[in-house]
Amino acid sequence: MNITKSIEELHTLLKNKEITPDELVQESLLKTKEVQEKCNAFVTIIDNPRITEVTDNPLSGIPFGVKDNYSTKGILSTGSSNTLKDYVPIFTATAVEKLESAGAIMVNKTALDEFGMGGTGTTCATGVVRNPWDEKRMCAGSSAGSAAAVASGVYPFALGSDTGDSIRKPAAYCGIVGYKPTYGMISRYGLFPFASSLDHCGVLTRSVRDAAYVVDAMKGIDDKDQTTWDSKDIHLVDSLSGNIKGKKLFYIKELANIDNYHHPSEMLKLHLENFQKTLDLVKSLGASVTEVSFDQALLNALPSVYVCLSCAEATSNMSNLTGIIFGKRGIGNTPDEIMMDHRTKGFSPLIKRRFVIGSYILQKENQERYFNNAARVRRLIVDKMKDLFKNYDALIMPVGSGIAPYLDDDNNMIDNDEVRCLEEHLQIGNFGGFPSITIPNGFISNMPVGVNITGNCYDDENTLNIAYAIESVMPYKNQIAKDDKNE
Amino acid sequence: MSKFTKEMVQNYANKLLINLSDEENALVLEEFDVIDHNMELITKIPNIEKVEPMTHTLDDFTYELRSDVATPSPSIEEILQNCDKYEDREVVVPKVVGGD
Repeated sequence: MNITKSIEELHTLLKNKEITPDELVQESLLKTKEVQEKCNAFVTIIDNPRITEVTDNPLSGIPFGVKDNYSTKGILSTGSSNTLKDYVPIFTATAVEKLESAGAIMVNKTALDEFGMGGTGTTCATGVVRNPWDEKRMCAGSSAGSAAAVASGVYPFALGSDTGDSIRKPAAYCGIVGYKPTYGMISRYGLFPFASSLDHCGVLTRSVRDAAYVVDAMKGIDDKDQTTWDSKDIHLVDSLSGNIKGKKLFYIKELANIDNYHHPSEMLKLHLENFQKTLDLVKSLGASVTEVSFDQALLNALPSVYVCLSCAEATSNMSNLTGIIFGKRGIGNTPDEIMMDHRTKGFSPLIKRRFVIGSYILQKENQERYFNNAARVRRLIVDKMKDLFKNYDALIMPVGSGIAPYLDDDNNMIDNDEVRCLEEHLQIGNFGGFPSITIPNGFISNMPVGVNITGNCYDDENTLNIAYAIESVMPYKNQIAKDDKNE
Repeated sequence: MSKFTKEMVQNYANKLLINLSDEENALVLEEFDVIDHNMELITKIPNIEKVEPMTHTLDDFTYELRSDVATPSPSIEEILQNCDKYEDREVVVPKVVGGD
């Protein structure tokens, strides 16, 4: 199959007329159906997409997937929520529009944790998304369907969104690349908002170079999103030299050094050993890696700051889901009853739980103690990072505490164990809007694991180039998921 | 003894126009002490009150007012396509004021 190739390879084949966009789309749709059967990754399959011409644009004629929380005109966009199960937008998100104007062809909409509010891929209205490396395991979320599809070779890229780690963690669990650029580099117009001050658009691919191609095409200032900024001087693909000699990286001692864990599991030991091997590779490329201490109290507070800010922002953002002007109309004698019926029936128990937390935090008596203090801790964490970025090019960290958990193990609760901060640290990238990319860095028990590189705001070229260099000395680029366990 | 009750949880949900089933309420109530305990970690940072809360990701946004020129917007008919109850060009809801 050709569809599993990289963007550059596909572009060459298309330009040389060795394959047509239509043939590629048919391959992608065939694969879509296979992956739907296996992983349940899609909300909508677009059987007859509009076929584009092949141009000099590297994305022309190439199929791609879109997370179902992006508005797509005329195509069902549910956010994987029952509240919007029949919702067909009348406009297209800017990010999608830009890819379509580049000639890329959307072939499916991928499943997510309801409105992006989950990290497991198990709370989608269409059911659980299964990991293509082992169907008994989760993909992580919320961009679960996009990760499963890209890892399975349905197409070279799919859009994701990232509020806490929703691109970068599924990428790690599925053995692929997940990149969210600096906040505001890609317009959020048409992305269903979850927590606007933390929401980022981004992409899942199988190589850093492909991620660079896609974001080069998606980025740019947009009148419809006031938080976008002019990135015309940023050229991601052109900046991939692979030379990181003299670059300075750091990792957080309290999270990534095994000596800080009193009762490390075998899995955690293997994961952190593997991380150290990656650091050796980084050093072999002529870059330095320093262990840096981060204030433990700030790290302890980090997951709570995220829960607090994201749940509070979500309660506000989702107040437009009333079923009155769009969505299924609820039953009742008053507007309040109608809205309550719609919301009560539409939201799943786990998202209601987050709303209750948000509501609690926003009670008058809690606003100062929790909400405002969370916003203050956010600043301290971001200031600390910005201080570090004065001396270092990037933070390098293991993603999570090991491989994708079994779906049976998932209880979706906020746990309180020793690895909680290690599981959640990617949220730092959302607090500060930092460019952040996960790449695969090995296998434990035949399941992929990932490493993350996070740089300073607007320093996407440098961040991506570091990831590119590390990727080039590891054998995981362009890998396609193999599920040996079920064969 | 938890400081939270079933009624409190229901009240937080009701303020957002959401009703909770007994099972959903129990699910939240069960972990609310843990959530509250975790929230308390936020308040453990010394001198936190002196820090300016961070509400935006980037602190160097430039806001530009767009020129006061009308741009195309979707038609009312198009917008109503996703509405379950409307008459002509208006959304229908039960009467809010004035009784029957």
